[in-house]
Amino acid sequence: MKALVRAFILVFIIAFAFMFLSSRLNATQDFAGGGKTLTIYNWGDYIDPQLIKKFEQQTGIQVIYQTFDSNEAMMTKIEQGGTTFDVAVPSDYTISKMKEEHLLIPLDHSQLPNLKYISPRFMNLSFDKGNKYSVPYFWGTVGIVYNADMLGGKKITSWNDLWDKDLKNQILLVDGAREVMGLSLNSLGYSLNDTNEAHLQQAKAKLNQLTPNVKAIVGDEIKMLLANEEAAVGVVWSGDAAEIMSENNKLNYVIPKEGSNLWFDNMVIPKTAKNVKGAHAFINFMLDPKNAAQNAEYVGYSTPNEKALKLLPKDVSTDKRFYPDKATTDKLEVYDNLGKRMLAHYNELFLEFKMHHK
Amino acid sequence: MKKYKALNIYLVLVFIILYAPIFYLIYYSFNSGGTMHGYGHFTLKWYKEVVQDTRLITIVLNTLVIALLSSAISTMLGVVGALAIRTVRRAPVKNTLLTLNNVLIVSPDVIIGASFLILYTIIGIKLGFTSVLLSHIAFSVPIVVLMVLPKLQEMSPTLIDAARDLGARRWDVLSKVILPFIKPGIFAGFFMALTYSLDDFAVTFFVTGNGFSTLSVEIYSLARQGISLTINALSALLFLFTVILVVGYYFIVQYYRKPRRQGAGE
Repeated sequence: MKALVRAFILVFIIAFAFMFLSSRLNATQDFAGGGKTLTIYNWGDYIDPQLIKKFEQQTGIQVIYQTFDSNEAMMTKIEQGGTTFDVAVPSDYTISKMKEEHLLIPLDHSQLPNLKYISPRFMNLSFDKGNKYSVPYFWGTVGIVYNADMLGGKKITSWNDLWDKDLKNQILLVDGAREVMGLSLNSLGYSLNDTNEAHLQQAKAKLNQLTPNVKAIVGDEIKMLLANEEAAVGVVWSGDAAEIMSENNKLNYVIPKEGSNLWFDNMVIPKTAKNVKGAHAFINFMLDPKNAAQNAEYVGYSTPNEKALKLLPKDVSTDKRFYPDKATTDKLEVYDNLGKRMLAHYNELFLEFKMHHK
Repeated sequence: MKKYKALNIYLVLVFIILYAPIFYLIYYSFNSGGTMHGYGHFTLKWYKEVVQDTRLITIVLNTLVIALLSSAISTMLGVVGALAIRTVRRAPVKNTLLTLNNVLIVSPDVIIGASFLILYTIIGIKLGFTSVLLSHIAFSVPIVVLMVLPKLQEMSPTLIDAARDLGARRWDVLSKVILPFIKPGIFAGFFMALTYSLDDFAVTFFVTGNGFSTLSVEIYSLARQGISLTINALSALLFLFTVILVVGYYFIVQYYRKPRRQGAGE
């Protein structure tokens, strides 16, 4: 009995010691600096940690960095409340949704003098006219990654090349209704925001013809599969493409000549913010050309910051695949918020394509 | 003799197959290359990252706190439960109780997790530390009962009768006769509950939330963002920790056994 009691008391003591230790760790992380904290909610591995340290040193504000893995997860957390995110980084179409749900605080442009460095090409976009709520953080395209070695030296330049008979069972598609429907619409010369029913049916019919070439429709694992040469061709976002190519240099990325999607991840201040002034300071800090360049170099995505681009190494900033010229970007389109019903229709067509028998 | 050799080879083979994935994982935790294919050179970079990540360390501590607390509490509840089941005289009732207990062990974790989530939402317990602790206690209790009951049944009823004859009160019987006898069962139940709690994913996945997370759930969400070798490093550290625990447990058992044997010899 005595031994039992002693053993259990020991267990409880250890447990409470751990609890105390963990709360102490939390405290040093969260509440040091007398409430001068800033909570940032960003995608995983999407900022240079050095910059956070630099920001903390410059302003004396303690940064708490939390990450999410999908726009939907982030939006739910913010909607639910009970969180105190000061800055979040949603993608373009999510911003329209968050605007509709009144989850954002308008930005005070007088506190963001560095906004002038953002290229006018990336300002005033359809999802946020006048940049009332958002500032672009990174941008990119949807395109094709291909392994020229596995294709016998063949080059891919357009969406229509995907329908090539030689690519049988060689294509991996990213699992997104807008992306896949969009590539079909683009290949037909339509806009990827098309809502004309006849055009959509045509695009869907064309997708069905693609099925013999499609090996799989996959999520994040597409990066690993392409890098390991499980398939020769993949339809991916440019950010993923850069990552895949750094792992396997036989791969190449191309923005199809018919046009494609142009996407943005943007900094916003959600309504849960407790430190709105600090949030502005952080956004302005990230817009500083030097910091933006450092961040772009770390993350490897394309920066919308014109001045920062000049600070990047030449071989990066002149890489047409990730910083396409104006002629190419003019063909790129941002996803419009098509409304719930149209989006459901897109999803339905995409689902029908997924179920289409080879 | 020949048969003995074949058996040995078989045994070695099985152990190699069982341990190969773990060592493969650990091997790549020292890889500077950043992926699980193509070995660069030896590096401790990933271990450094693990140690510097306060968030990860907090989660490890949380996991340990949950495991220790839940297994300790469920051991107490389980022992009481086992004692109660033993006192039931009528066989059908006893069997029903035992079956009800066993159903909880074999029923899929996913269902248990989902039902806990629904329960907590209905009665308004916020997801977090409390919800995880309660769920872990709940799924550990049947395990403890199962570990303690055989020991209780092994015990001869005459022992208790003798104690009562010698004037022991009920409390004395419990604390001086029954509990010392079933002590190995209690410790076995505790360690069983501890391992169940440490590696549980399915139930925990449903009931974590509001920033509270345990290691298995965290590794799952890390792996979804693309495998980083920090996971390997962390797994290697945990493996080492488990090995130390097992070895430590072995030595503690040895230590407690020795004096008793000497006592018997005197």
